[in-house]
Amino acid sequence: MIEITSVSKAYPNGIEALSNVTLHIGKEEFIFLVGSSGAGKTTLLKMLYREEVPTSGKVVVDRINVAELEPSQVPYLRRNIGVIFQDFKLLPKRTVFENVAFALRVTGVPRSTVRRKAMQSIELVGMLRRANSFPNELSGGEKQRACIARAIVNNPPILLADEPTGNLDPTTSWDILQLLDKINKRNTTVVMATHNKNIVDEMKKRVVELDGGRIIRDQQLGMYNV
Amino acid sequence: MFSNLEFFIIEAFRSFRRSTLMNFVAIATITVSLTVFGLFLLLIVNLGNIVGSISSRLDIVGYSSREISLADAGALQLKISKIPGVEKVEYISREEAWKKFKQDFNSKMSLDQVVYNNPLPHTFSVRVRTPDILPSVAKQISNIDLIDEVRYSGKMIDQMMSLIGAVRVGGIGMVILLSLATLLIVVNTIRLTVIARETDIYIMKLVGATNTFIKWPFIIEGIFIGVLGGVFSFLILKFSYDSATLKLSSALPFLPIVNDAFLLSVIYLSMIFGGMALGMFGGYISVSKLLKE
Repeated sequence: MIEITSVSKAYPNGIEALSNVTLHIGKEEFIFLVGSSGAGKTTLLKMLYREEVPTSGKVVVDRINVAELEPSQVPYLRRNIGVIFQDFKLLPKRTVFENVAFALRVTGVPRSTVRRKAMQSIELVGMLRRANSFPNELSGGEKQRACIARAIVNNPPILLADEPTGNLDPTTSWDILQLLDKINKRNTTVVMATHNKNIVDEMKKRVVELDGGRIIRDQQLGMYNV
Repeated sequence: MFSNLEFFIIEAFRSFRRSTLMNFVAIATITVSLTVFGLFLLLIVNLGNIVGSISSRLDIVGYSSREISLADAGALQLKISKIPGVEKVEYISREEAWKKFKQDFNSKMSLDQVVYNNPLPHTFSVRVRTPDILPSVAKQISNIDLIDEVRYSGKMIDQMMSLIGAVRVGGIGMVILLSLATLLIVVNTIRLTVIARETDIYIMKLVGATNTFIKWPFIIEGIFIGVLGGVFSFLILKFSYDSATLKLSSALPFLPIVNDAFLLSVIYLSMIFGGMALGMFGGYISVSKLLKE
């Protein structure tokens, strides 16, 4: 599903965010990216939805060569990748339903199907009751659920999560992880960058550790620390 | 495509409704810029009118019905041109005038068959520098021997038009400068409203919206803001011009104020369409710039 081969990324200021990273992620895998801040986790995720382009190396997502993609084709790549963030990035002036529907609408989905698909997605994350609330009326966990509903509304085969529990208390974090696990079991590849030791240790999934832009560990059923 | 257009318009109106302050600032800026622009246009048009009407009064015409030789005419021309304040003296002989008159008359029947003798006098057309010395110059010309009659405020349409033309050329230069200034202000203001929605654009890109899809709501919103600004400046201009015209025409009745309904409509309409174009252009430039970053 995701093939990263010998990828390096150097910024113009000389900082090397990734150096010779090779990583293969299979279909329907659930994988944690761990490592200290600045280790390159976010850069690696950004490579996948082409927010960043590698300096060298090859990135293939769902059989698409991401690095060589024409800019005009990038939107179509992104329709196959859901992304969620620590700071949610919900549109503040829209309700939960509108945020989710918006993601469908801007990809040209006809209005008749938007409502049905958006409501399905909102139901899946357990937010039906809050569908008409604005983001500032929601708790952190609810915001992240809304964000997930938006990310998966197109039924993407891949879901990327960048520190999705970074702003959440332990109980809520755990709820979010169960939701991500549920989505993973619906045939979605999940790649999650995290600092949350408890979650990584409890989930017993594949763990890839980055340090200084290099992969220093790739372990099935791994723990946060060695 | 039709359902997309509907989406673009709905999105444009939604964002317009929800970012009240930003839009208020943008509309106010466009209103003020266009109003200044429109006031200047009205000023130029009226200035042209005033210059035209003044210049039309700047000519004195002296007539002589006697037989004078070409040499006499030249001497007379020189004598008139030496009167202080005289700018130019043009001599038109009665033969020349008659020829021209016949040309202008342009009838199938020859005038010579009806009028046997040339009835026209020799003409000296005199232009003075300022209108206030017209009477004294006219009096001095009438005192000259061989001059039988003096008239002034003769209408020299061609010259008047050329003078108006000069005023307009200067005016157009100013209008272009002012348009550029207005465009810069408006583009920057709309840019602020677009930057305020950077997150929206980021998310649209993230979920896979194409650039075209992102641009249209902003362009439509720009048009909407621009048209509103244009309508407000139209109302301000119309109201103030109408009331100014009313007051001026009773206080200074001799002032030739432009009252041509067609010309005024063109100026007023150009406010609305100008606002629309500015808004559209502003929205397009701003969102395109943001998409490239």
